[in-house]
Amino acid sequence: MTRAKALLEVKDLAQHFGGLKAVDQVNLTISEGEIVSVIGPNGAGKTTFFNVLTGVYPGSRGEIVFDGQPIRGLPSHEIVARGVARTFQNIRLFPDMTALENVMVGRHTRTVQFLLGPLLRTRAFLEEEAAIEARAKELLEIVGLKALGNDLARNLPYGAQRKLEIARALASDPKLLILDEPTAGMNPTESQDLVALVRKVRVLGVTVLLIEHQMRVVMDISDRVFVFDYGVKIAEGTPREVVSNPRVIEAYLGKEAA
Amino acid sequence: MSGLLRSRGTAWILIAAALALPFAAHAAEFPYLVRVGGIVGLFMLLGLGLNFTLGYVGLFDLGFIAFYAIGAYTTSIAMKAHVPAPAAILLAIAVTVFARLLLGISILRLRGDYLAVVTMGFGEIARLTINNMDWLTNGPKGMQVRPWRPLAFLAKDPNVQFYLLIVAAVLAGVAATRRLEDSRVGRAWVAIREDEVAARLSGIPVREYKLLAFTLSAVFAGLAGSLFALWEQFVTPESFVFWESVLVVSIVVLGGMGSISGVLLGALILAGVPPLMQATLSAEWINYRYLFFGLILVLVTLFRPQGLLPSSRREAELTS
Repeated sequence: MTRAKALLEVKDLAQHFGGLKAVDQVNLTISEGEIVSVIGPNGAGKTTFFNVLTGVYPGSRGEIVFDGQPIRGLPSHEIVARGVARTFQNIRLFPDMTALENVMVGRHTRTVQFLLGPLLRTRAFLEEEAAIEARAKELLEIVGLKALGNDLARNLPYGAQRKLEIARALASDPKLLILDEPTAGMNPTESQDLVALVRKVRVLGVTVLLIEHQMRVVMDISDRVFVFDYGVKIAEGTPREVVSNPRVIEAYLGKEAA
Repeated sequence: MSGLLRSRGTAWILIAAALALPFAAHAAEFPYLVRVGGIVGLFMLLGLGLNFTLGYVGLFDLGFIAFYAIGAYTTSIAMKAHVPAPAAILLAIAVTVFARLLLGISILRLRGDYLAVVTMGFGEIARLTINNMDWLTNGPKGMQVRPWRPLAFLAKDPNVQFYLLIVAAVLAGVAATRRLEDSRVGRAWVAIREDEVAARLSGIPVREYKLLAFTLSAVFAGLAGSLFALWEQFVTPESFVFWESVLVVSIVVLGGMGSISGVLLGALILAGVPPLMQATLSAEWINYRYLFFGLILVLVTLFRPQGLLPSSRREAELTS
């Protein structure tokens, strides 16, 4: 496989909380157009790693280079503006806004109209609003929720809420989409559906990094897999390489099994 | 129901009713009604202002009346310095906004109850400061304000003049609020209220947008305070006690947080009914009004937490 341009380079990244090394010495590179999974036992630091990538935590050490620019320690909204968008392990929508409005909010970093535009209803404002709405509808259609656009997010079924989160993240025109356990709590059919959606997202030119627990999904979807344990990356490779790696088996099943 | 409330027809009927009030008061030989209407209008402005922070962004602010006071006193001081009244109004808004901005910068990292306590403290500090700065505010004795007659070509009675001016201010406030609500800015505010973390990770600079809502709310407080001072021609620290802040919070909560029509209805009920009852029944029971406000708030929280007229989300055309 010829290597495409590196989109994300993480060098010696660490996030410590007092004496706890939640993430430590993580080095990895993700190329443009890849779908990459992060797996590991509970408490391995996967979500913390995502939180450092997206500016929720500042990181204690190391470098994150995204699209050629260092982003570690930037405020989250700035990182979104650079082209990193994410979803959450526990769905975090804006429950009392409609599905469409949720996606429209995601458009924030790609729009500019501020106080005077809306107050004076300038032509530029009205055009931008129309464009926001059109793009949001388009994204709802891509994730298959167009008919539910006027429903409040809180009233959507679970699977639809997951997809809505992805649509909202995509609204910021990300180069990298980070999904934190997108199939959590889904049945096999819904998971299949989501896998299809992730593939569709890649076709749109978005690189995808996801935390995933369902091995079937991981094997099915990933170009490469990173394995975390105790905050450290213990293995990386294609799904096949990774599942036969003794260190990975040890992390999941214990020493004897390995 | 909410569709009806948002329709243009309803809006025009309500505007017509507001403009007809002075005639009705005249016909019924009950001129006090115009004064009550003006008071209600001032509280509508305050409610619209607080709605930015408490309603859209969900910031609990228990000291909002301090900014009403800053608007009123700035106007009084400017009028004393022979500044023309329209300029005094603009100056009052500017000073109020600036004061609010400074407070916001220093306290907006606080959340929830902590923010409520600090704003409550600020409200009291502001009142006590006004009370003790005799050289500037004449302390507890209060300040006379040079008379000003706006809209003299429309009405002879100063009460009617100010009533009409206040109605115009409320209309402008509603229009501005609604326009902001249906924009990227309004969506960002509500998103912050709904889930601050998700808002931040959707690309919204949360701190800046909170500060924006907090600061903009002062435009309404400053304007209301200024009109109050010019109308009453007299201000004292007594008018800006903690309970007035509670009243404004009650207006927003009763009507429906984040709902413009709710805020207007809340002001109509909570600022309109007590003076009317005081005038028509006995003067004594006004002392018990906060007891009733408390009861109303408890009942609303228990049985209709979304408020009397909760905000409805905008429906989009999806079939195209």
